Amino acid sequence: MGVVLRNLQKVVPLRRARLRRDVDTLRHILGIQKFDLGVICVDNRRIQQINSVYRKKDAPTDVLSFPFHEDLRPGKLPCPLHRDELNLGDIFLGVEFVMKQCQEESLDLHGALTAVTAHGICHLLGYRHETEEEWTEMLQRERYILTEYNRLTGRRLEPLMKRPGPDT
Amino acid sequence: SFVIFSKGMSASAHIATKSSTNSFLESEDLNAAVRHVCRDVVALVALLYCSPVLHCIVTSSKEDRSPGPISLINPFHLLKTGDKAFGEFLLDEIKEEKKIQMNKSLPKMSGGWEQEMNGTEVKLTRQVSGEKVTVTFNVNNSIPPNFEEEVEQGQQQKPAEDEPEIVSSPNFVIEVTKQGAKYSLVFDCHFPEDEMSHGDGEEENDIFAIREVSFQPEGDSDWKETSYTLNTDSLDWALYDHMMDFLADRGVDNTFADELVELSTAIEHQEYIKFLEDLQSFVNCK
Repeated sequence: MGVVLRNLQKVVPLRRARLRRDVDTLRHILGIQKFDLGVICVDNRRIQQINSVYRKKDAPTDVLSFPFHEDLRPGKLPCPLHRDELNLGDIFLGVEFVMKQCQEESLDLHGALTAVTAHGICHLLGYRHETEEEWTEMLQRERYILTEYNRLTGRRLEPLMKRPGPDT
Repeated sequence: SFVIFSKGMSASAHIATKSSTNSFLESEDLNAAVRHVCRDVVALVALLYCSPVLHCIVTSSKEDRSPGPISLINPFHLLKTGDKAFGEFLLDEIKEEKKIQMNKSLPKMSGGWEQEMNGTEVKLTRQVSGEKVTVTFNVNNSIPPNFEEEVEQGQQQKPAEDEPEIVSSPNFVIEVTKQGAKYSLVFDCHFPEDEMSHGDGEEENDIFAIREVSFQPEGDSDWKETSYTLNTDSLDWALYDHMMDFLADRGVDNTFADELVELSTAIEHQEYIKFLEDLQSFVNCK
């Protein structure tokens, strides 16, 4: 097993191999290669539907995470007792939402998707940003991940989180 | 003398002739005998006309040579009555199918694909940067069996207007041919059936998936069974993603896959209606 990548949308032309390579780089940086991870790319209609059902927010967003292990201490890797528990969970990427942001801010789509995925993986590892303290802690972690990523790849990605507050 | 017995009848008709050594033509007895015979003949004819059993013996002896009890129903009549009902049913069915036929003309694929049809087989062709890409599929057996079971169950529970639409999602084969290459790269693809999905938007499989990949001789040559065929079930996922990107660069992406389903559904429905019309003509044909 490894990263299960699915592309359920047709709005954004996605490079699957590039996205998988970037996700694998993030997993390597975080030391979570032994854990399975699901990355599902969806359009605005689908991400809005999920946002509405699970967060009672009827609007599209950039990423939604569904951790396999609940109540993890931020940054503490799970200690699975069985092979079935070698799973971090699923990340839904709102690729249409992210593409629109990239068009507005002249950003590279796949770079933005990598930064968004890093944010999503942090959520799977227990990070939250509902209080200012949580937000600071999560921002630090994202900065570390992307700094390492930039060092390994020569790119210049920045954390998704730029100001305090919950995801929209 | 001879006697004719009718089965199931208590009376019997008989004709008796009397032979005599006397001259037959001169005898008053003869006249009486002739009148007697005529009466008996009339009676016999009346008996035959009225007896359904004897009528069946006569007709069944011509048309039904199978052993078993003699039926009171004419099998030839039964066939004709059945065909008439069948023909009328088909007429109604054709009317209903034409009412729900969404596309009288077939939907067009975007991306500059040329389309050829040979019966139920469809071929889409496109040129991309000097390469030829051909996608072939057949609408026969293209409706997922789970869907057909759901429709049957639904008919017992849901009103007609709530029944899901029939969708044709055929397996399809993509051939990529380059001018300099001896062989075509062939991808055998399908639309995965998601166990979780029932049209309620909960699908989590890719829209379409590659099942097998192989190299095959170009054109319409026979499929080479001895060519190595890569099965994607246990394939490295990074390699799989590269192949999906390869297809997307040649116009076979999720948009194409959705349009192919629409086209296949329209063709399948069209073929179904044509089949019903041919069936009706055949049934009504003398």
